[in-house]
Amino acid sequence: MAEAGDSVGRSEDENVPTYENVDVNSKIFRVGTFGRLWTEKLRPSDFSFQDGDEEAEDAAFSLDMGITPQTLREIKEICSPDTLKSGTETVQTEIVPAEPILRTLRLRKRRQDYQETLQRDFSDRQNIHASELEGLAAGKKPMDPKYLVPEGEIILSVNVLYPAIFQRFRFTRQHQTLRVLGSQKLTQLRDAICCVSDLQVNGEFGNTPDMVPEFISKDLYKSAFFFFEGVFYNDFRYPECIDLSKTIVDWTKTHDFPPFQSRKMEETLFSDLRLKVGYPYQYCHQGDCEHVVLITDIRIAHQDDCLDMNLYPLLAYKHRVKTRKCSVCHMYISRWITTNDSLAPMDPCLFCEQCFRMLHYDKQGNKLCDFLAYPYVDPGAFN
Amino acid sequence: MEYYIGPLKSDCEDILSQFQRTESVRYETFSAIWRKMDFSTIFYGKMSPNEMSTYTRLALTTAYPYFLPPYTFQIRVGGLYLLYGLYHTQLTSPKEKIRIALKDWEDIVKFQKDAVNAQHFDVVYILRKLFTLKAFYFTAMPKMLFFEVKRKPKRDEVCEDFRERPEHVKELIDMETLEEIMNVQQHYEKMKAAISTTLGQKYSGISLIRKDLSLQLRDTVMEYHKWQEKVTKIGPKDADTEAGEGTSEQRECSKRASLLASIKSKSYGQAVQVSRARRHRQVEMDTSGSGTDPGLEVSLRKRPQSLRARTRKNLIGKGDMKEEPQEFTRQWRLTVPEDKVHERPKKKKRFKW
Repeated sequence: MAEAGDSVGRSEDENVPTYENVDVNSKIFRVGTFGRLWTEKLRPSDFSFQDGDEEAEDAAFSLDMGITPQTLREIKEICSPDTLKSGTETVQTEIVPAEPILRTLRLRKRRQDYQETLQRDFSDRQNIHASELEGLAAGKKPMDPKYLVPEGEIILSVNVLYPAIFQRFRFTRQHQTLRVLGSQKLTQLRDAICCVSDLQVNGEFGNTPDMVPEFISKDLYKSAFFFFEGVFYNDFRYPECIDLSKTIVDWTKTHDFPPFQSRKMEETLFSDLRLKVGYPYQYCHQGDCEHVVLITDIRIAHQDDCLDMNLYPLLAYKHRVKTRKCSVCHMYISRWITTNDSLAPMDPCLFCEQCFRMLHYDKQGNKLCDFLAYPYVDPGAFN
Repeated sequence: MEYYIGPLKSDCEDILSQFQRTESVRYETFSAIWRKMDFSTIFYGKMSPNEMSTYTRLALTTAYPYFLPPYTFQIRVGGLYLLYGLYHTQLTSPKEKIRIALKDWEDIVKFQKDAVNAQHFDVVYILRKLFTLKAFYFTAMPKMLFFEVKRKPKRDEVCEDFRERPEHVKELIDMETLEEIMNVQQHYEKMKAAISTTLGQKYSGISLIRKDLSLQLRDTVMEYHKWQEKVTKIGPKDADTEAGEGTSEQRECSKRASLLASIKSKSYGQAVQVSRARRHRQVEMDTSGSGTDPGLEVSLRKRPQSLRARTRKNLIGKGDMKEEPQEFTRQWRLTVPEDKVHERPKKKKRFKW
């Protein structure tokens, strides 16, 4: 009996996340067990979505500590948040005080003063967009209570980084952050990830510009997989999906690797996964478009989160890419890209629909010179 | 945002060390210090809402470790008050929450129990209030992890002044163990008397145990505890105690240094007359060089010194030629524009955004 107790104790301890590398990532643990441990340790009122009842709490407090209402009133007065205001603060919180005592304020003043000396005006578009996105879904409640996120539900924050094309993504780690519920399937996350390679249309259409097919790569190549902790989760929802991970698994069998397993994405919930927080994993789709996936945070749902299940997976942050306009008019977003084109100023060159037609085709629709033209999807398509 | 971590940490340690000096755990004391330092201005400044929420999260994450072991109870109470203050004075809306990791939950429960037992009403009230206000996120790890692997892993330095003195000795030999030892001892003596050949005689020739073991143990533990307290009280303030060999070495070093300094000041007390070739230049006494002593100087230079600095050091330190500071001879510039006399030729390091 002691042994059984021990093994349970050890597995419980295993599921309490601790640092494997300090400040970098945690050890492996099962998400569902982690959630259960928290809900067992807390009182239901701690993670409920109702506002706390102050009076009931005060009554319970005075009962537990055995104090008189007079003492309670005194304590409340002493500990109220008003005691934190010294009265000298101004309403204008944007202005840093002239002679700051705090080191943080001194640093901030230096930075602000420096920023004011700069000639260029940094329009803070990334931050504005990010705050708009955050504000969109905060605190939303569904109309139908059936879709209310249950109390004690786990929320995971997932960062999906853009594929490592080094020339373009040299300076920042561009990513999108999605929030998923523990009770959701991996396929729901897969559908919510927006990658521009999903929208691309294949083929050269210089000769037949009107016959651009409607099919996008997302519909054509439906296979994808997630890789978490030695297990490949493949998407087998559609009959045309193939097991992309098979090649990798076969290769590892011939080399000295621990055996990797393969499971179905549509049958796995996030709470069934065993993973490390902060550790990089992979999402691969279209055969070769690979994204690094990081689970940055796992926590119990809070009153102030978005409580509508239909809105999850929720896009919490998306890096905004500059849209590339046509080289001719600089007004419209480019739709065509041409190479080997003698009419174009550079190789390759971007054109919008109208400029492309006007330059390369005459009134009857004949091609005016030799070139190769491909339909182009701008990376900023998701802005 | 990483550049704010250092100043935030030092501000938190500042307010907590002031709180530690008052030797009280009352919230009134803490809020008085908070008001004096105007700590709520830590959120002031022109920041976009997104930056403000990132910064608030950073501030809360920096203050959170002070609420957990290995810090002393007083520092942990100060950490709780600090979190309460930061939570209420933040300027984001909706409010950023304090993250509690699962691994720290047991420590927090124990802390609350200790506070209840010691009847610290304000501590318990504030903790319960934060729970009522739903000011916590119950998470896996205390901060969001982005797999930021750095070349030099930054170790979380526990502030030594706030660290709880290890009480392992006390835990090992506490009152219950002493009582047990005494009981066992009495039992043993009774047994011995019962089986001794001469009836009624308690003490026989063989005695394998110490007579007053538990008393001796207790005295030793108390002595150790007193010594520990003395060391921790005096240790950080001045080095003149029997705190170990380190301090006595320091004293010898300082004696030698002061001796050297006095010798130097005597010899360089007067400015040396410069040679005829350089008479046109003014001679200035440079007191900064003789005041310091290479023995005392702690050189934390990571890079090798530049040629300019080395020349300066060698020439001024040795006192061959009393070179005055460069403001008087700028040989590399024949003419100097009037308004830019004091401009340094070096370019300032560019801000990293």
